[in-house]
Amino acid sequence: MSLSFPVLIATLLGLPFAGFLASAIAGRRMAGGLAVSLSSVGLLLSVYLALHQPAKIEIVQLKWAVLSNVSFGLSFQVDTLTTVMLVLVHFIALLVQIYSLSYLHDEPKLRRYFASLQLFIGAMLGIVLAGNLLVLYIFWELVGLASYLLIGFYAERLAATRAAKKAFLMNRIGDAGFLLGIFLTYYQFDTLELATLAAHQNGILPLTILGVCLFMGCVGKSAQFPLLTWLPDAMEGPTPVSALLHAATMVAAGIFLLARIHPLLSPDALLIVTLVGTITTIWGGYSAVFQTDIKKVLAFSTVSQLGLMVAGMGTGNVAGSLFHLLTHAFFKAGLFLGAGAVIHAVHTQDMRQMGGLRKTLPITFVAYAICAAALSGVPFFAGFLSKEAILGGAFHWASEQRSGMLIIIPILLLLSSAMTAFYMVRQLKLIFFGSYQNKLVRLKQTHEPDWLMRGPIVLLAGLSVWFWFSVNPFSADASWAYRLFEPKDESHPIWLAPVSIALVLAGGWLGFRLQEPSPNQRYVRLSVYYGFIDTWYQYFVIIPTQKLATLLNRTDQRGVDKVVNGAGITTVVLAHLTYGFDRLGVDGLVNGLAWLVSRIGRVTRYVQNGRVQSYITAAVVGLLLILWWLL
Amino acid sequence: MLLSLLIFLPLLGSLLITLLPDSRASWFRWIALVVTFIEMLLASAAYTYFDTTVAGYQLLEQANWITLSLGRLGVTSIDYLVGVDGISLPLIVLSAVVMFIGVISSWNTTYRQKAYYALYLLLTGTIMGCFVALDFFLFFLFFEFMLLPMYFLIGLWGGPRREYASIKFFLYTLLGSLLILLVMIGLYLSVMDPVSTAVAAGLATDPSAVTDDLIHTLQTYLQNGRIGPAQVVHTFDMRYLSDGGNYLPDTFLNPASQPILMGLPVRWLAFWAVFIGFAIKLPIVPVHTWLPDAHVEAPTPVSVVLAGVLLKIGGYGFLRIVWQFFPDGATHYAEVLAGLGTLSIVYGGLNALAQADLKKMIAYSSVSHMGFVLLGIASITAEGINGAVYQMVSHGILSSMLFLIAGVVYDRTHDRRIDSYRGLMQPMPQYTTLTTVAFFGSLGLPGFSGFVGELFTLMGSFQSVWLPGWFTVVSTTGILLAAAYFLWTLQRMFFGPYWSRHDIKTSLTDLTSREKLLLIPLGIMALVLGIFPNLVFNVTSATVAQWLVKFSVE
Repeated sequence: MSLSFPVLIATLLGLPFAGFLASAIAGRRMAGGLAVSLSSVGLLLSVYLALHQPAKIEIVQLKWAVLSNVSFGLSFQVDTLTTVMLVLVHFIALLVQIYSLSYLHDEPKLRRYFASLQLFIGAMLGIVLAGNLLVLYIFWELVGLASYLLIGFYAERLAATRAAKKAFLMNRIGDAGFLLGIFLTYYQFDTLELATLAAHQNGILPLTILGVCLFMGCVGKSAQFPLLTWLPDAMEGPTPVSALLHAATMVAAGIFLLARIHPLLSPDALLIVTLVGTITTIWGGYSAVFQTDIKKVLAFSTVSQLGLMVAGMGTGNVAGSLFHLLTHAFFKAGLFLGAGAVIHAVHTQDMRQMGGLRKTLPITFVAYAICAAALSGVPFFAGFLSKEAILGGAFHWASEQRSGMLIIIPILLLLSSAMTAFYMVRQLKLIFFGSYQNKLVRLKQTHEPDWLMRGPIVLLAGLSVWFWFSVNPFSADASWAYRLFEPKDESHPIWLAPVSIALVLAGGWLGFRLQEPSPNQRYVRLSVYYGFIDTWYQYFVIIPTQKLATLLNRTDQRGVDKVVNGAGITTVVLAHLTYGFDRLGVDGLVNGLAWLVSRIGRVTRYVQNGRVQSYITAAVVGLLLILWWLL
Repeated sequence: MLLSLLIFLPLLGSLLITLLPDSRASWFRWIALVVTFIEMLLASAAYTYFDTTVAGYQLLEQANWITLSLGRLGVTSIDYLVGVDGISLPLIVLSAVVMFIGVISSWNTTYRQKAYYALYLLLTGTIMGCFVALDFFLFFLFFEFMLLPMYFLIGLWGGPRREYASIKFFLYTLLGSLLILLVMIGLYLSVMDPVSTAVAAGLATDPSAVTDDLIHTLQTYLQNGRIGPAQVVHTFDMRYLSDGGNYLPDTFLNPASQPILMGLPVRWLAFWAVFIGFAIKLPIVPVHTWLPDAHVEAPTPVSVVLAGVLLKIGGYGFLRIVWQFFPDGATHYAEVLAGLGTLSIVYGGLNALAQADLKKMIAYSSVSHMGFVLLGIASITAEGINGAVYQMVSHGILSSMLFLIAGVVYDRTHDRRIDSYRGLMQPMPQYTTLTTVAFFGSLGLPGFSGFVGELFTLMGSFQSVWLPGWFTVVSTTGILLAAAYFLWTLQRMFFGPYWSRHDIKTSLTDLTSREKLLLIPLGIMALVLGIFPNLVFNVTSATVAQWLVKFSVE
């Protein structure tokens, strides 16, 4: 290897962060070019690294926080998974940035846009390169920041800033669990190094709660049930951002995390992971069915696919999930970029206002259809291979479980992929078939985007075809990409491929034949409002928290502070009382006595003059002195 | 010499300003600026000369101040004794920086400049004195004296309810001081100065001849009653107060004898008294209610100093005095103490969420962030204690930045209510950017210092043998709440379409270069500390290891 390994890592990480700073200073037009060239260099370096892949895991350690007897370092590692992710992230990021050059051509805040994208790339690379959980967490949160900035990019739109805040907060809930998981890991294993933790595999059994806590990070970032509602809202961000962050890479970070911590998941934790993934894939899939916003369909399909990957992880099929992550990144990014092209043409995201666009956007149509086919799991496309890998693994897993009930899990996963075909065909029909509905932009005015946008879409569609991944279009077993992740060799049921093909075709056929139901139907509302999960949050989390905060604030001011002020007032009142007593009581007594005495004196003065008067005066003074002394 | 200069240079500056005629009003701020700048240089010099491998006190200066022979009651000695260790040094550097920032932020003060800057420098000197004093009496002197300038700075230059706020602040802290004073006297009566006592008892010819072995022998003699009361030299020296062997037999605070008062050992009562004394300063719920009022009424630079430095004296007092003099109380009540820390974190966070006033929101966020300090200290672990010191430094920087940010909008419109604005990003983009930086830094985003402080205090509380894990779980909601109130504020005030309750778009100008000069370096400091936490841990770790010896479980 001619390039030294630490230098390579430092360059890979340094480039985007340098790009982040430089974009903030560079000219408006320069920013895009700069970002694209930095990512190109990064891609070349990643490919170089992948080709010169070291035989064993390479680790770089840096000192970070050294306490006298304990030390927390930053470490970075490169293994096969890292190199695959490095190439993937760079490749999609590069395409998305090229696309953005045209898509956001007239955007005045272009510098901020590319700066945020570079920040995201740097943070994402950090996650991929992380050698211990601390580094992973640090970049994990930074990815959250980049996501916040990019979702809220159109900061003058209230909905966008709300969505950004929601995304960050929901991710923070997951991250809080993740952090506790890190504490637990450190508590149980005394190390956070991923390589060392993986070696513990056959030793101590990790606590279930540890795995569940770490998994919470994934639940947040990969929009799993019940923290999935930030992802549809995140569609407020610019469409290329949705393609890069909220479809291909960032949300996949949760899957990556699961791959990294897989040795730390106890059997019970794995079962929880499986259940969450299965619920998510059904929930997300059904929510996609009746959406009318072109991006929301894709967002929920992302949720659903992520759920599938998570379920795959739970069933112990790390390789299958990672393979699906890889294929999904291409076709889902392609779908989002295609959706961007459609939105660019018709200036709306409402699919009810589209229709018949296959005539004016033929290239986009073909690319979109290919990506949709890949997503639905149609044979000859990449998605079919990776879905089969996950489903096959799931059936195998279910057959090994003690409880026969668990066969329901792979069956649900299988049904959800039929659902995918259903809503993707419905979407294709609404956008590209039928008659054009938009009143504002005439069909003749709609046109294909320029090549900066078309190129990435076509490329991604091309990469969604089977032969890039496997020679055999019907089985992933021989796929080189799947083999990269070292799958277990286990037999998959032979009937699986034909059954799932039949289900996909049936789902697609139903989707094409679907008459759009009235939006007021209960089952439609259930889908559109994704199971009313946000309403629950509103009533059971947000409003109670706000009420509690207000209540505590009132307590603080009227209760706690009242006590303090009350103590103050009591003291002052007491002081006044003492003073009153002093003036009226003590002093009154003295004055009264003096008055009495002087009265007597005045009386006696009439009786006698001279020496007696001075005697009395002396006596009074003496009496006063005695009184003062006594009191 | 260095530490004495740190204390007396500002006091001299204060005197100089008092002596100058009012016609020289324009000089005052320059004097304050130069003095605080030199303070920064001195503090950096101390940081540079500090030997990080040594756990004990360094740069010691000792002078006999008051020595009184009381016959049968022994000998009184109060020393001018100053020095630094890994716990005080980071706070000294922080104070120097914040005080300098405070002067720049005060630059446009026109009302009674002479008094303002004289008091400001007086405050600077007493703060430094607090952090370097190693004689309890000297410490208490500075601790008390700090109240005076603070009282006037809030009471004279504050907002509409300044009198209420300043009196409240004064009385609250005075109550705390009273409790500390009581304990101080008790400690004083209970503890001997082993070095001087050895000389007085004839065991050594002069102080330099006293060895550790001799001190050990002397302590055994003392416990056996072989040292008569007349030979005992009483002391306020904190180095001796923190050694259980120096406590006289049959005194109230002797760890071995444990007399009972009101059903509790006197030492535990004393622990609570001195704990409350410093808890008021930090502040810890439920003795925190002076803080929001003081902050809301104080002028911006005074808020900066209050949040940036003064609160840290509470945490410093915990570490230097409460936990070191009363380790038995600290471990016995570890769960209660951590519970108070957790309560502060959650209660402060929820209150911050409910605030309509930007400055009050920041004030409550301070309560929440200081809760992490108590949680870390109560954990009695290396992570927790180092983290607590780090959290104090980090909060010093970030809260200074936050209060300056609140000051920016107040300067322009005299209205700090969050709902009076929307979309400030449009007229004030730079302000929005720096606010975003400060908010994300404060909510604990990795890369900024806030993250490191929270990470290590939480980790410490989780690793602690004294605490159950659920304290950490509950406290973690603090970082959720922080994200909620900061981001909600950001969304309501800075994003969305522009709108303001005041029809004054023209006055909502973006940051001036002076404001940028304040905010940008603070942001960079938070970032540098967050990326290189060893800048602090290098200094603290050896001292903290020594600090923990007392608590090691056999």
